[in-house]
Formats: sequence, C-alpha cells, structure tokens
Amino acid sequence: MNKKNQEILIQIKNLTKKFGDFYAVKGVNLEIKHGEIVGFLGPNGAGKTTTMKMMAYLLNPNEGEIWIRANGELKKLTRINKDYLLDNIGFLIEIPAFYGKVTPKEILKYFAKLKGYPRVRLDERIDTVLNMLGMLKWKDKKIGTFSKGMRQKIGIASAIIHDPDIIVLDEPQTGLDPGARKEVRDFILKLKKMGKTIFLSSHLLYEISEVADRIAIINRGELIAFDTLNNLEGKAKKSVIHFELLNPPDGKVDDFITQLKTFIAPLTGIAEEENWIKYYDDNKVFQLFFNGNPKNQTDILKVLLENGYEILEYSVPKAGLLENLFIELTGVNEIGGVYK
Amino acid sequence: MTLESEEIKTGIIPIEKQRAGLKRNFTQISDTITFEFKKNLKNFFLVLLIFLGVFILFLTIQELQALQGKELPADPIIFIKDYLAMFGFMLIISTALFGGSIIAEDFQKQTGNLLFPKISKTRLLIGRVISRYILNAICLFFYYVLIGAITFIKYGEIPIVIWGSMGWALLYTFSLFTFVTFMSSIMKSSTATIIVSILFLLIVFNLVSMILTFTGLDFEPLFILTYYEGIIAQSMAMPNPRYIYMDMQPPQAEEPIFYKNWLTPTGTAAFIGMVIYIGIFLTLAYFLYKRRQSKNV
Repeated sequence: MNKKNQEILIQIKNLTKKFGDFYAVKGVNLEIKHGEIVGFLGPNGAGKTTTMKMMAYLLNPNEGEIWIRANGELKKLTRINKDYLLDNIGFLIEIPAFYGKVTPKEILKYFAKLKGYPRVRLDERIDTVLNMLGMLKWKDKKIGTFSKGMRQKIGIASAIIHDPDIIVLDEPQTGLDPGARKEVRDFILKLKKMGKTIFLSSHLLYEISEVADRIAIINRGELIAFDTLNNLEGKAKKSVIHFELLNPPDGKVDDFITQLKTFIAPLTGIAEEENWIKYYDDNKVFQLFFNGNPKNQTDILKVLLENGYEILEYSVPKAGLLENLFIELTGVNEIGGVYK
Repeated sequence: MTLESEEIKTGIIPIEKQRAGLKRNFTQISDTITFEFKKNLKNFFLVLLIFLGVFILFLTIQELQALQGKELPADPIIFIKDYLAMFGFMLIISTALFGGSIIAEDFQKQTGNLLFPKISKTRLLIGRVISRYILNAICLFFYYVLIGAITFIKYGEIPIVIWGSMGWALLYTFSLFTFVTFMSSIMKSSTATIIVSILFLLIVFNLVSMILTFTGLDFEPLFILTYYEGIIAQSMAMPNPRYIYMDMQPPQAEEPIFYKNWLTPTGTAAFIGMVIYIGIFLTLAYFLYKRRQSKNV
C-alpha cells in the first residue's frame, strides 16, 4: 500500500448524537483511508444514517468532531468551512426522493452545477454517469414515472455527478431486486478502481462483505467492531460452510442430516449445538458451523466425497462469517439479506 | 469517446471545478432560479390560464352588458377597477400555488437529504423565493397587460396610474408570498400549506377585520395583511375619506347602527406596513427553515 493509500481522508472522533435522552450515536470513532471501501454495518435504527447525516452536516453532533482532508490537510468540519470541506464528497442519504416533474438530466445538471462542475462538460458527464448505471436511455423521462430501483440509481448518480473523491452511500441497495443489487455492487467496485474512497452503510451483510475492505459494525449507536474482514473472521468463534449436493435429499431431511452428522461432527472442531447443521429447501443448500480452520474445512469436504456425496458447490461465504460475528457482538440474529 | 472524456470518467486527470466561495454562492442562487423555473412551469401555465380565464369572464360580462345597452363608464379608471374586482382573490390563489411547496416539500418528500449537502438552506431559499416570485409577477404583469390592452381598445388610451397600481400589486403579492413561505416553513406538506394559507388569507384575516368593524373600534386595521389589497385598485383614484360607513339594522333596535369600513391605507402606510410584514414573515420563515430537520434521523 503506497503512502497516499495510508492517508486518512475522514476521521470521526467521539461522535455523539442525542435525541432527548436517547443516544442515536454514542462515542463513535472511525477513520476512512484513501481509496478504501469502508462498510458500515448495523441493524435498522443502529445509528448509521444519523452518523452519515452528521458527516453531511445535516445534523449537528452533541459531542465529538469530524475531520475531513482538503488540500492535503485534515480540517475539523464546522459551519464556516462545511461548503469547502464537503465539496469533494458525494452523499446519498436514505432512499432518495426526487421531484417527480423533472428528468434525470435536469436534476443531475442542477446538482453538478451546485457543486461547481465545469459547465462545458456537464452534458458529457451526465451521459457518462447515467451510462455507467444503465440509465442513459431514461435521461429525458420524468422521474415521477420511475420505479424505486431506478430512483435509487438516480440517487447514486446524484452523489457522484460532480466527480467527488469520497462517496458516502447510505443503504444504496435497499429496495432493489437481486439483479439491481448486483449492478450497484459492481458499480461500487468500479468506483473503487477509479480511485474513489467509499463509505457504505447497509444492513445487508452480504452486500457489505462482498465489497468492503474494512467493516465497522454499529449497534444501538455504539461502534462495536472496526477492522478488516480477515481480522474480523479471526475474532469469530465459528464459521459457516455452505454446500450443495448434486442429488439433494428427497424428503426425510431429518434422517439425511442425522446420517451426515455421524461423520461430519468430529471434524467441525466445535461442540455440537442445536441446528448446527441445517438444510434450506428453497435453494437446496446445507449450512453447517465449524471452527473456521481451513484444515477442518478441507477435511469435511474430503469426508463428504469419500462417503459418495456428489458436491455441486462447497464454499465458506464471507457473509456467513460476518453474520456469526455480528450475532456474537450484537445479539441480533435477524439482520436480513444473508445468503441462505 | 474522446481521450478527454475517458480521463474525466476515470478521474485520472482532475478537472477544474469552481471553488467554494462567494462567486459559487451567487452561481448556486442563479442555478436554483433556473431550475425552479423549470420545476414550476406547470404551475406557471396554470396560473396564466386562471388569469386569462378571469379576464375573459369580465370581458364577457362587459360585452353582455353592452349588448343590453349599458354604456361604458366615462372614466377609464372605473373601467379598470371593474377588472380588479377579483384581483385580491386571484393573487391569493396564485401565491399559494407558487409558494406552498417552497419549504415544506424538502421535508415532506425528504428531498432535503439530496439538496442540503450541496447547497445551504439560505441560498436555496433565496433562489426559490426569487424564481417563484418572478413567475408570480409575470402572471400578474400578464393580467395588467390584458387590462391595458382592453382599456386601449375601448378608450384609445391607457391611464398611466395603471402602472402605479401594478407596482402596489407587485408589493402586495410579495407580502402574500412571504406569508405563504412562512406557512410552508411550519406545515408538514405542500398541499396543507396551500389550503391553510388560502383559508387564512381568504377567511381568517377577513373575519378578524369584520369582527373589529362590528365592535365599533375606530382604528385602521393596518395589522391585517389582506387590508393592503385595497390600495391596488384605490391607488388609481384615492377615495376621500378612505373609509365608508355601513349601516346595519339590529332586529330589536329602533335606529340602525353605523360601522366604519376602511377601504384602503394611504400609500405611505401601505408601503411601511407591507415592508414590515415582509420582514417579519421572511425572517421567521428563514429561521424556522434553518432549524427544521428531516423527520427520519
């Protein structure tokens, strides 16, 4: 990693926001480095949006500071310098709402102008951004006729239209179908390749785990973990294997699982517990917990093959690891969006 | 795709953006004005249509009366005043339509989440007030042009005082506009702002004025915003005195009771009164807007 990539672009120190007696965000410390994607994970109401709103100066913190790099220097965000410091950041906060009577071209042109984007290059920039999001053919249609997913894409376009170096996206995949979610995921990775720094919040474990370099987990306003996915994996006491058989069990699933347990249980490295092996009938996938050790992972595969099971797919999903850690840290087991 | 556009797309070569500062603040206001023009185009044509409709209505009535043998008034100012009979009502409707959403929409639809990180509420409000007021003023001017044209056709001249009346109408419209802006800063939705503003301006203010009249208190109702509407028509020929007495016969009284009904303020009082109203409502709206936060935090 070069020196520039070590550079902190945003630093959040002891950030706190109270609404009455309720702490929406409590003492959050975060730093976002140049060129990385930081995933901000937490259940609904954990404080993700409030944190991002304070970054965008939409809400004032009760305590704490936000420092943003501008012209090579980290500066504290204040009312006086907010225009200057936030100039190089693109925000998408919550599900975007637009004026229905205008077109994407009109609204994006307005937003880009507000941020001082060169006027002679506006049309070209709008076409480029809309093309990247697969929305070019809709640029002259009224936004009022758009689906939720299309509006979400226009929201993302509005965050990046002025070509900022830092992009803050609050739940950009919410309300999107799986295909659109993948498009957004790929788009986020494309932005990273372009050298952008991204701060991305979501309650969808899979979406975060697939793109983020570092993950911050927030629950009830407090940051409970902030590290790389690999380091977080290490903290997890157990992990998950997903496998799919060429010939899935046809009825009598319980008997089938009992049979599997007899030769897999000694290899998992963890004590047997309730539902440690499960079968999801809808997508024909088995899920089992193990200690996360790669040796145990390969041993389990070997024994399955030795016993004549034809394996179609065998993997340790990142989201699975993260989900375990998340459950351990927060006690929340219904975060949603995890691959089953 | 040219090499240059590829560079912009990939971000390899940083592009020269206008820096944040005073110049950008002004361009943000002018860009907001342009954008708001486009956004309010539908309302603009609707109000133009309403004004045209009212004009045609008056014209039709006048032509029907002419067919029945009624002669035109000798004084063109009286002729013009006839066309201004419903003008106060028209201005209330148009102002509510243009100003109803000016602040409430950002919180109702949560469009503020997209806008506020890009432009300050102060500049946004300045741009919106200017653009929407200009559209409102164009509609008003259009109506005066129609009156001027028909006056010229009928009398061969346009009394110069009509433009003075238009000046008062512009000031009165702005004071109404600031009232609606204030309402928009406290209401939750644009529709509610429009309805409540119209109710206040058409009913509540007039009701207060009426109650004061019937209590027999002898003072000019300068604190009633809609009272200033009187000067739009009356400025062309100021009545002397500026009030009339109305009589009412209570059921069990022997003599009728006389009430003083104020027609118009003086030019000076109207100017000062409306400027005070504008100052108060704009300041309140501005601070309420600045303090207001989106509902989902």
